Amino acid sequence: MVIVPVALPLAAAGLYAVFGWNRVTEWLGALSAGGLLAVAVLLARAGEGSGLWGLLRVDALSAYMLIVIGVVALLAMLASPGYLRAEAATGHAGPRAARSYGIFTQCFVAAMATAVLSASLGMLWVAVEATTILTAFLVGYRRTRKATEAAWKYVVICSVGIALALLGLVMVHYAAVHAGLSSREGLDWVSLAGHAGGLDPGVTRIAVVLLVLGFGAKAGLAPLHAWLPDAHSQAPAPVSALMSGVLLSVAFYAILRVKVVSDVALGAGFCRMLLIVVALASLAVAAALLIGQRDFKRMLAYSSIEHMGLIALGAAIGNGLALGAVLLHILGHGLGKSVLFIGSGRIQQAAGSSSVDAVRGLGGRAPGLATAFGLGLLALLGLPPFSLFASELGIVRAGFAAGLGWAVAPALVLMLVIVAGVGRAAGRMLLGTAPPGLADGSDGRLRGAGVPLVVGLVACAVLGVTLGPLRPLLESAVTIATAGPPLSAMGGAR
Amino acid sequence: MVLQVLVVAAGAPLLAGLMRQVRARLEGRAGAGVRQPWRDLRKLARKERIAPHGTGYLFRAAPPLLAGTTLVVAAAVPLVTAASPLDGVADLFAVAALLALGSVALALGGLDTGTAFGGMGASREMTVLALVEPTILLAVFALSIRVGTTDLGAIVTETASSPLSVISPVSLLAAVALAVVTIAESGRIPVDNPSTHLELTMIHEAMILEYAGPDLALIEWASAMRLTVMLGLFTGLFAPAGIATAGAGPIMLLVAVVAFALKVALLGGVLAAGEVFMAKLRLFRVPELLAGSFLMALLAVAASFFLA
Amino acid sequence: MTDPVYVQALDLACGAFLLTGVLVLWRRDLAAIIWLFGLQGVALGALIAVRGLHEADVELTVLGLGVGLLRAVLLPCLMRRALAAGDEGREARPHVSVAASLLVTAVLTMLAYAVSQPLVRLAPTPATQAVPIALTVLLVGFFVLVTRRRALSQVVGFLLMDNAITAAAFLTTTGVPLVVELGVSLDVLLAVLALQVLTTRMRAAFGGTDLDELRELHD
Repeated sequence: MVIVPVALPLAAAGLYAVFGWNRVTEWLGALSAGGLLAVAVLLARAGEGSGLWGLLRVDALSAYMLIVIGVVALLAMLASPGYLRAEAATGHAGPRAARSYGIFTQCFVAAMATAVLSASLGMLWVAVEATTILTAFLVGYRRTRKATEAAWKYVVICSVGIALALLGLVMVHYAAVHAGLSSREGLDWVSLAGHAGGLDPGVTRIAVVLLVLGFGAKAGLAPLHAWLPDAHSQAPAPVSALMSGVLLSVAFYAILRVKVVSDVALGAGFCRMLLIVVALASLAVAAALLIGQRDFKRMLAYSSIEHMGLIALGAAIGNGLALGAVLLHILGHGLGKSVLFIGSGRIQQAAGSSSVDAVRGLGGRAPGLATAFGLGLLALLGLPPFSLFASELGIVRAGFAAGLGWAVAPALVLMLVIVAGVGRAAGRMLLGTAPPGLADGSDGRLRGAGVPLVVGLVACAVLGVTLGPLRPLLESAVTIATAGPPLSAMGGAR
Repeated sequence: MVLQVLVVAAGAPLLAGLMRQVRARLEGRAGAGVRQPWRDLRKLARKERIAPHGTGYLFRAAPPLLAGTTLVVAAAVPLVTAASPLDGVADLFAVAALLALGSVALALGGLDTGTAFGGMGASREMTVLALVEPTILLAVFALSIRVGTTDLGAIVTETASSPLSVISPVSLLAAVALAVVTIAESGRIPVDNPSTHLELTMIHEAMILEYAGPDLALIEWASAMRLTVMLGLFTGLFAPAGIATAGAGPIMLLVAVVAFALKVALLGGVLAAGEVFMAKLRLFRVPELLAGSFLMALLAVAASFFLA
Repeated sequence: MTDPVYVQALDLACGAFLLTGVLVLWRRDLAAIIWLFGLQGVALGALIAVRGLHEADVELTVLGLGVGLLRAVLLPCLMRRALAAGDEGREARPHVSVAASLLVTAVLTMLAYAVSQPLVRLAPTPATQAVPIALTVLLVGFFVLVTRRRALSQVVGFLLMDNAITAAAFLTTTGVPLVVELGVSLDVLLAVLALQVLTTRMRAAFGGTDLDELRELHD
């Protein structure tokens, strides 16, 4: 059962390899993503379990992450056929490219599923590095100068970051073996957390710094964030949605797991300080570059850095309320960001450019798409009724309650700056009248905005009102992430 | 000890001759014979002393100073015997400082002439020296950590008693560093070309361009001795087989002299052969090479702490 | 394997590992750099094999041979192919001059030594005492990655870092679990393949592999 979420996308990738990308198989990706989501729900209900000779293990936290992967993958895969058809129409992608698109996206989803299901830090690392390599080809998909440049920077920076995490892994293993664990248990999450008290503090401290910086690079956190805007702006829109919506969170999932070990071994203060520094730096970077941003895909990419910064801040606060908000934020951000990236793909294909100035007055030309995009931006800026409002409020409240107001206050200021920057760009894109010469020709394609945008926005809004059946899962996931009983129920955030 | 000085003093020009002969043979020439440098020295020494117009005492003092320091180093360094009466002096720092003193004296002499080439040579020599001296210090220091003293004799004695200990990263790194430095210090390819006649590429030769007669003889002799001493030190540190220790009899001493001569001749031959196949480095790359050797020496020191 | 011989062999392998890493910084010729990288792979394989022989652990010894094969033969081969496809064989003007970068390496060595003190303190054995060497090579690799302009030099820098991490893994313990080690090796191989493909595309798009040409994306 545990192996299904990995096997399903791999099977789909195999089918793509055999049959290529055509009218029938183009919906295969959505099918496998839907299956993944269904299995994730079943796994969440079944509780803990393990498989593949103990290499994979599922608990509430990983099941929750699996659901996030399933949801975002479903949205992205639903949008893929339309996106690729438009790409083919503009001559950017032939059948061969479409086929490798199918193979790589499915393998990418499988690698992310492996990452969250890994029973050990080692498997997790291997899976996360695999996502880097798989997505490198997706980022460089268009083979233009820009795409090649973005892919190169992406592979080099992420590989280096993740190499730091590997060194951290080696150190953890070293400390664990000297704490009396066997080599095999030395990286297993459960035995690591169980024996964390016996880890040598000196070695563990180095290891935690390396792991947080390393996985932070992959999660788009400062200081190794430089690849993110390039890669996210150059990748095909559905892939950007996957990378921004879940890949970042999967990398952050690794940090959450590390934090559990670190809090027992070194006390909560060490990892908290580290995460606060990283979070505020990321927020500052995002704010600085969002003001006056002229490219809307890069704008979305920087907004991802902002949200990962917020998530890191929530994780730093670290009590039950904050972590519940963090997990909710991961899901809400996944939904909102994928809607926006898919929408931006449509806009980019219509306007032929990702520059803000090239799409002035979208509201007049394609009201449906403009509404969806606008609502998505509102969700991203944390306005009610979307779930990001609830989760941001939860993080802020938890921060002040935990006496970390000095860290939360500058974060709030930076968020205000970001709201101003994004709002200004959104106003120019969506409102006003289109300049003459832009209005004709492209409108036909703008209208087919599609199901995924509506589904994503509705889901995000519903989550903002009620957690529904997700509540018990979220609560047990929080229990795992805090390594203790939750301080207060999520209801407090409302 | 006296024997050691004599061997070095008499043998040094022969070594220079040998190296020239090896080069000549490899380049397909007959060569002038091993004793040619001695003949050159004799001819130069018979000439009249002249000094360029306007030079001062620095110019005149440089050659004897160079020869003097080299002789003291030859006496202090364990070449033939590890037991030197100058034991207190045979210290790493003293030896490095003496070598540097000689170089500085010569550079000052070159500057004193006031000619363009003299000054250029001196400035280049100082560039090289700035990296060479710390490298020698660090490299030998790395070797001394194992023994626990900076006394060269003690280091050599220790190595002689356990020759296998040479095969360690510390020794290897130090050996590479010292080899590069030896080549640079004695002004050979690829750092400098001892037989160049093109002033623009000169380092050592540019400084002594204005010297003539006995002064020149003294400098040539001292340079040959420096090369011998450096090569001897190198073999002493890394292959001390056959070296006489304290209380050795006359036969042992004789064996030591022969072993020393053989080792140095062999190294010199290899060096000369290497020069045939190598081009001189462009001058601005020389600091790179020397920085590299400095790094090796530093790594040797670091490694001796890491891998203690 | 007796203890003194083990220590000496281990030290020798570590010394060779360090030396090849540093020499990469010194050479400009890309072919020579790849050659040095291959030599480092041999040293790494030897290091693991020595550990395996000492622990009388057959699996570890075989692993050493495998790692040696991957890093001394396979990866250099791949890079040589990438090099042969283009015509630029030299690292013409690195951002930091070679002499300066060699001196920087001296500082990096000190840094690695300082950082690794807690690691050595946990279990001072001959193997863990060599961990600073691995960290030095790691920093050197990072330095190469940051200051060199050729695509291939960056790849070598990345691989130096990876070699160093592998060395650290086998110096601190007898290696991470086999599954993880295999996964890591596979990932590294795939990463190099991906970078090779990207290098080819870069040549097609930019007409060279000078990374300073990559400046279209910025804010």
